[in-house]
Amino acid sequence: MPDMVNLSAHSQQHPQQRQFNPYTENGGTILAIAGADFSVIAGDTRQSEGYSIQTRYAPKVFRLTDRAVLAVNGFAADGNMFVKKVRQRLEWYRHAHAKDMPLRAIARLIQTMLYSRRFFPFYVYNILAGIEEDGSGAVYSFDPVGSYEREACRAAGAGQSLVQPFLDNQIYFKNQKAAHGTSHPAHLPLNTVLSLVIDSFTSATERHIEVGDGLEIYVVLSKGRPMHGLEGLRGMEEVTTTNDGERVFVIRRDLKKD
Amino acid sequence: MECSFALTGKDYVIVAADTTAARSIVKMKIDEDKIKELSPHLLMAYSGEPGDTVNFAEYIERNIRLHHIRHLVPLSPSASAAWIRRALAQSLRSRNPYSVNLLLGGYDTAEDKPKLFWIDYLGTLSEVPFAAHGYGSYFALSLFDRYHNPEGTVEEGLATLKRCIDQVSKRLVVAPGKYKVKIVDKDGVREVEI
Amino acid sequence: MSIMQLNGGSVVAMVGKDCVGIATDMRLGNQALGISSEFQRVFPLTDRIYYGLPGLATDVATLRERFRYRVNMYTIKEEREIEPETFAHLVSSTLYEHRFGPYFVEPVIAGLSKTPSGGLKPFIAATDLIGCLNFAKDFVVAGTASEKLFGVAEGLWEPDLEPEDLFETISQTLMNAVDRDAYSGWGCTVHILTKDQVITRTLKARMD
Repeated sequence: MPDMVNLSAHSQQHPQQRQFNPYTENGGTILAIAGADFSVIAGDTRQSEGYSIQTRYAPKVFRLTDRAVLAVNGFAADGNMFVKKVRQRLEWYRHAHAKDMPLRAIARLIQTMLYSRRFFPFYVYNILAGIEEDGSGAVYSFDPVGSYEREACRAAGAGQSLVQPFLDNQIYFKNQKAAHGTSHPAHLPLNTVLSLVIDSFTSATERHIEVGDGLEIYVVLSKGRPMHGLEGLRGMEEVTTTNDGERVFVIRRDLKKD
Repeated sequence: MECSFALTGKDYVIVAADTTAARSIVKMKIDEDKIKELSPHLLMAYSGEPGDTVNFAEYIERNIRLHHIRHLVPLSPSASAAWIRRALAQSLRSRNPYSVNLLLGGYDTAEDKPKLFWIDYLGTLSEVPFAAHGYGSYFALSLFDRYHNPEGTVEEGLATLKRCIDQVSKRLVVAPGKYKVKIVDKDGVREVEI
Repeated sequence: MSIMQLNGGSVVAMVGKDCVGIATDMRLGNQALGISSEFQRVFPLTDRIYYGLPGLATDVATLRERFRYRVNMYTIKEEREIEPETFAHLVSSTLYEHRFGPYFVEPVIAGLSKTPSGGLKPFIAATDLIGCLNFAKDFVVAGTASEKLFGVAEGLWEPDLEPEDLFETISQTLMNAVDRDAYSGWGCTVHILTKDQVITRTLKARMD
């Protein structure tokens, strides 16, 4: 029967599955280092998807309060939404308590916010840097589901494996022995830290295609700390909002665009 | 599951291998000797794919013997290791490769030194102070790290081996029941009971 | 699991002022299990050439034998020692012969080559597993910790390092890189080639 519709060929087709992938990876690198009475937190500004550059200026580092700065790396859409949500929670806290949330409390808040999405996570690696209530510089690093730890330095993102071992060597003095009768410093001075941050990003830019374009370095100074070394720095701008507390600065630099 | 261990001491090498021959989940034989005496001062423990193991071990055994007959001197442990490794490396890129893992323990009579080589089916060769193959290696290597003494007496070496066998029996679900233990030193090869 | 990462291990080579350095870790593993902490993957070829073979350990041994054979034949035929550049091309063509069933190693070559004026010029090179040559002017890396090595080397290396400074730079680069790599480590060896000697040192490194 030539005119009969062949149903069996249709019904024997394999069941097809289509899936929407809600995540992507947007490259870039972030990095933070804690000093005795300051913290430095930085990120490049390239945003890419695969081999395409979407923009050469997409900030990954955000001032939350005058003593807390958050860097987000991974899936940019999730990162931006996460920062928005953290800022909203911090504003509610200000309305309820008439003060800024302390850094360690922000760290715990970020953990609970990340873990609340345990089974549909924000695909983001977070690094939080700022000044603790005792005036010391602090860095907190997180995984996408909220495991976190306070550290002296941390790199994350596309250039993590390039930068972290360099930092182990230069910040923690790993595999180095102090000269006889001396010891390695627990905290480095601000100008040394800034040079290391810039060196780390120029190195990562040189060898990683997803890192480059621009560099934004945030510096948070403890209350009453002198500026020494920071004033008159090229590309520096103060972004503090209050008068008598911690001070926040941002330094913008160019990185190679190739 | 198959386990083999070996360790060097002051002037000896101890080689141990389990004695089970299994097919799937069935033990076919519980007194199989899986340590060949390749030459007067050379032992080889073999494990891996059933069939491949004996075939390969006999091929090696006959060739090492042939060398001995032709040249009137046995091939040294390190030369034997290099030759066996090469046989496995060539087999790896052939149409059907042998899957045989080996521990080669010998006493070099020219250098007056014990020698031990870890060889896997890929032809990876490494001279080591102690070695293991199979699931037992996950236990044995840690114990060797803690207890192995390169200058130890035979008694001390056997005590360390005993620790490995005991731990494997205690903690490994698929632990073998019995082991054959052989020692090679300047006087040649001998079997010991443990 | 990739064949290239089965046994672990990394090699780095750097150029200095009238000297070169080549350094490696000493781990031989089977996936996560460590087998040996005395494994050699950097070998001398002549008094002025050292080369490293990170990758699959069976191919490390096989290629070492092949290179020794081919270089011996070259030395006999030519009645002179092979130059580093020539050896780099020998490595490349040996690997490319097996283009569609390769040896799983990424060789690194370090040597001092003769100049027409009779002096010695530092030379380094690396290839991928099918022999694509990379003649770098600064440093080359290979192995399971290659990404980490790139990062640290890019930060620490500078031009015209004297032998002792080059030793420090290459050692720190290697140790800090392999400490962040689970498949590399378990001891390090460093060779510095200068015009009149080869300095070989075993480093006291982390053993975990």
